[in-house]
Amino acid sequence: MITESADKYPDKDAFRCGTNKISYSELADKSGQLAYALRDAGLQREDRVGVYLERSLETAIAIYGVMCAGGVYVPLDPLAPSDRTIAQVTDCQIQIIISSPAQKTGLKTLIEKVKLTLLIGLSVDWPVPSLTWKDLETLPKNPKINILEHDLAYIMYTSGSTGSPKGIMHTHHSGLAYVKLSTKLYELSNQDVVATHAPLHFDISTFGYLSSPYTGATSVVIPEAYTKMPASLAQLISREKISIWYSVPLALIQLLQHGVLPDWDFSSLRWVLFGGEVFPAHYLRSLMREWNTAQFSNVYGPAEVNQCTYFHLNELPVGDSDVPIGRVWDNTEVLIIDSQDSQVPSGTSGELLVRSATMMQGYWNQPELTEKSFYRHSSTSGIEKVYYRTGDQVRRSDSGDLIFLGRIDRQVKVRGYRIELDEISRLLKNNQKIEGAAVYLTADDQGEKIIAATIITKDNILLDESEILQYLAKYLPRYAIPTLILFKRSIPRNSNGKIDYQKLQQLNIND
Amino acid sequence: MTKNTHAILLEYIQSEIISNEITSKIATSDDLLSTGIIDSLSIMRLIAFIEERFDQKVPPQDLVIENFISIDAMATYILQNPPSPK
Repeated sequence: MITESADKYPDKDAFRCGTNKISYSELADKSGQLAYALRDAGLQREDRVGVYLERSLETAIAIYGVMCAGGVYVPLDPLAPSDRTIAQVTDCQIQIIISSPAQKTGLKTLIEKVKLTLLIGLSVDWPVPSLTWKDLETLPKNPKINILEHDLAYIMYTSGSTGSPKGIMHTHHSGLAYVKLSTKLYELSNQDVVATHAPLHFDISTFGYLSSPYTGATSVVIPEAYTKMPASLAQLISREKISIWYSVPLALIQLLQHGVLPDWDFSSLRWVLFGGEVFPAHYLRSLMREWNTAQFSNVYGPAEVNQCTYFHLNELPVGDSDVPIGRVWDNTEVLIIDSQDSQVPSGTSGELLVRSATMMQGYWNQPELTEKSFYRHSSTSGIEKVYYRTGDQVRRSDSGDLIFLGRIDRQVKVRGYRIELDEISRLLKNNQKIEGAAVYLTADDQGEKIIAATIITKDNILLDESEILQYLAKYLPRYAIPTLILFKRSIPRNSNGKIDYQKLQQLNIND
Repeated sequence: MTKNTHAILLEYIQSEIISNEITSKIATSDDLLSTGIIDSLSIMRLIAFIEERFDQKVPPQDLVIENFISIDAMATYILQNPPSPK
């Protein structure tokens, strides 16, 4: 894929990051040299290689080098706690890690716990063979490796409901299917400049890392520091003439609130894609007014299927109801089923099942979990159709759009009553005085399960517990009213920007 | 004044912001943004702290990397930023 783009657009920037850039021909050469080094170190087809890198150009060389060598790239979050990283490296038996001098501290902890055969990207005086990025430059390019489309291409770890992360396996086939569908849907061309805001270990990064190069577009990897300073980020979007933006809603909300958007020219923006979480309608409305020349699209799809639906906003969202997740895209079909695996009547809510060319192979080393996540159905032809159980509850609206209602597994039982936690948080977020809310289960002094709510109020509005309880009591049965209400300045989120309920619970215990 | 500012910021960041294991000790010249010591939510908390502690207003246009990359940079910024009118 990269060699094709390199033949067509050799001198065009494939990736930019800060003041650095790499052309398609350079990317092809460097990833070819990396592939050679990997094969030389004994890498076999489908061997896993860890990519332990900050947001940088090297991330692109690393993933293409690994795939070109027939290996499987596994993004490791350099900002994650070391135990989590060690668990991932051990889980998928990584023996080679690609990194950089900036990650030396984290690597040192890692090396003490796991045995590697090669470390690429920096020179170290530890007992492990290493090659620097410069060392690679003298190597031959383009080893000829036979790769089949159903070979594994990458594994992305995501938090598992069981507590330990699970590795989602994608093949060249499922990855490329996503690339083709996404580039078609958003009409990507070699004129586009794509903002790659998500870190490599977050599944939506595949748009910037894989889809963008497929079309010969330029992917701008946003350096870490910019993701934290909205005004700098706004300036970067304008300066780089970004034409396609894709991120979680939170990044866009921060841009809206602190980015001083009127100061910059965003006329290059063609598409603003958001996904991974619900974008509160009032923020979305404000941003759409601010960036009124761009088209907005809600992207939906668990990492297990990359993407499966989309909703283009042709007009401003009305009221406070969530934007639909929309229509199913090509080469994909969905079912909505009840808890007995029977299809629900049209318009009724149920769990969404997805069957698509973009679907994962399964969870690494977890055949039982994989099987549990699949729904198998034999058609009259005798061919088995495999669907992924999203765990997301949806409903089809009268207009045919899918509406996301919440997670089926955030349903809890307290004192025998069945309660949807998302229903409570949704009510709280609908309150005009509340900026954000997270509702979760925790335990009281007696170890009894209780519902807790952590709340951020808008603009330091004073809000007391009794007012909230009165408000909730208007909509909820008594047993569903949170027992514990906490007012905080922030709600902890994981590196994907999603609410970190585990951390919330820990914070409570420590309080 | 400068020295004091540095110390106040360092103490706040070390006690209120840092929760992970790597950053046992940070220097005032350390890049806090690129290394992930400060995440996008804690930067907002830090700014609220600066506004309150130094009696200043940090307008959105000042939320740029140059002003917040390190404790040194923040101290310089705070010195130049006029106190908010009462």
